[in-house]
Amino acid sequence: MNLDLFWHYVPSLLSGFGVTVVCWSAGGALGLLLGFAIALLRRLRIPPLSWLLRAFIEVFRGTPFLMQLFLLYAGGPSIGLKLSATAAGILGLGLYSSAYFAEIFRAGFAAVPVGQIEAAVSVGMAPFDAMMRVILPAALIAAVPAIVNMLIILSKETVVLSIITVPELMYQVQTMAAETFTAFGAIFAMAVFYWLLVEAVSRLGLRLEARVTAYLAHEERAA
Amino acid sequence: MSAPMIELVKVSKSFGAHEVLRGVDLGVKRSEVVCLIGPSGSGKSTLLRCVNFLEPYDAGDLRIDGRLIGYEDKPDGTRGRMGARTLRAMRREIGMVFQHFNLWPHMTALGNVAEPLRRVRGLQARGAADRAMAMLTRVGLAAKADAYPFRLSGGQQQRVAIARALAMQPRLMLFDEPTSALDPELVGEVLEVMRSLAAEGMTMLIVTHEMGFAAHVADRIAFIDEGRIIDEGPPRRVFHESPEPRVRQFLQTHHDRNAF
Repeated sequence: MNLDLFWHYVPSLLSGFGVTVVCWSAGGALGLLLGFAIALLRRLRIPPLSWLLRAFIEVFRGTPFLMQLFLLYAGGPSIGLKLSATAAGILGLGLYSSAYFAEIFRAGFAAVPVGQIEAAVSVGMAPFDAMMRVILPAALIAAVPAIVNMLIILSKETVVLSIITVPELMYQVQTMAAETFTAFGAIFAMAVFYWLLVEAVSRLGLRLEARVTAYLAHEERAA
Repeated sequence: MSAPMIELVKVSKSFGAHEVLRGVDLGVKRSEVVCLIGPSGSGKSTLLRCVNFLEPYDAGDLRIDGRLIGYEDKPDGTRGRMGARTLRAMRREIGMVFQHFNLWPHMTALGNVAEPLRRVRGLQARGAADRAMAMLTRVGLAAKADAYPFRLSGGQQQRVAIARALAMQPRLMLFDEPTSALDPELVGEVLEVMRSLAAEGMTMLIVTHEMGFAAHVADRIAFIDEGRIIDEGPPRRVFHESPEPRVRQFLQTHHDRNAF
């Protein structure tokens, strides 16, 4: 492949990468928030609400992301939800991943030993304090590896956003491939960008994990 | 004559079709130490957990210092659940020590003891830390204040758990097999702390398999079998002169196992 031609496309590849990172982080953050809220609400065990949330999870985990995104972007306007491609992409990523995050948080809550909760109850701690000081820290610590894993999977789901014309990396790569009739260089560039992103995320994840489990590794003064 | 610190009248409890407690009567006076012994599955841990309502009982009266716990009897004769806030207020006065310590792993020894003081007793950080330190000193662990639970031996963890309960200045303490999860050589240090508590006049209800401890420290022994207290009295009487064959058989087995 002609290297001059490749350099010509570098700015658009970089901008595509930027859009990918923005969509991924915004969508991931939205998914984490929603998923956490769902997991918390399910703990209340209010019958109709629990049933609805369970159905939400089933739908978003049980159908392809591509389909969800299509419905949201193309079908949204018919129910008054008019979104730009990027906004639809971010919302789609958030809804889709929230179903997985909700299950990850549920598993995290389930991993908190009952005895630790009973200890909080037996000293007369209020439910809110027990949640904030005892249950949540333990649940989050248990959930961190699965959260990082899901974020990595999500970073690669962003390619689907190209279908609804979000100008992210895959979209730019396809444009470049179509204009230069050479797929290989573009695809290779994309692979490098994704590898960099995933590597960065997993490294951050490992550091986060080390940080939240610090109490297992060394002693430090209590604040 | 004031009300007993703990009073159970015909307390019953079932898990599904299985009747764990069948009309238990028991009283523990102020500053009294009562040990509950009996075979596993007899209901002794369930009984203890009913006392601070960690386990709701189904029928009967369970009173702490004269006050019914967990339920409220209404003037029309019906009974409803006690409000959560009132129940929490009652639990503050009842210290509980668990078989598996149940320390919070993300807090230091000091943090574990100080946390309830801050959240429940409303002490400021400084005051809570000072009292927590005093409690750790009391159980001989001042040097381990900054250690996380995983750094501590089972015996040390259990002493921290006792300090955590004690810091709340409870009116009575419940112990649920406090030494059953410990290596034999670590049992002594925990029993020593409990013995000194008893000597200071703490009201204690203890589920234990430590017959030697029960014999020496308890004012009374209650033997539970199949959800009923089948014998009750001073240690010497229960251990050596029980009229109940089931009690004699249990103690004989225990004696045989520990003789060598």
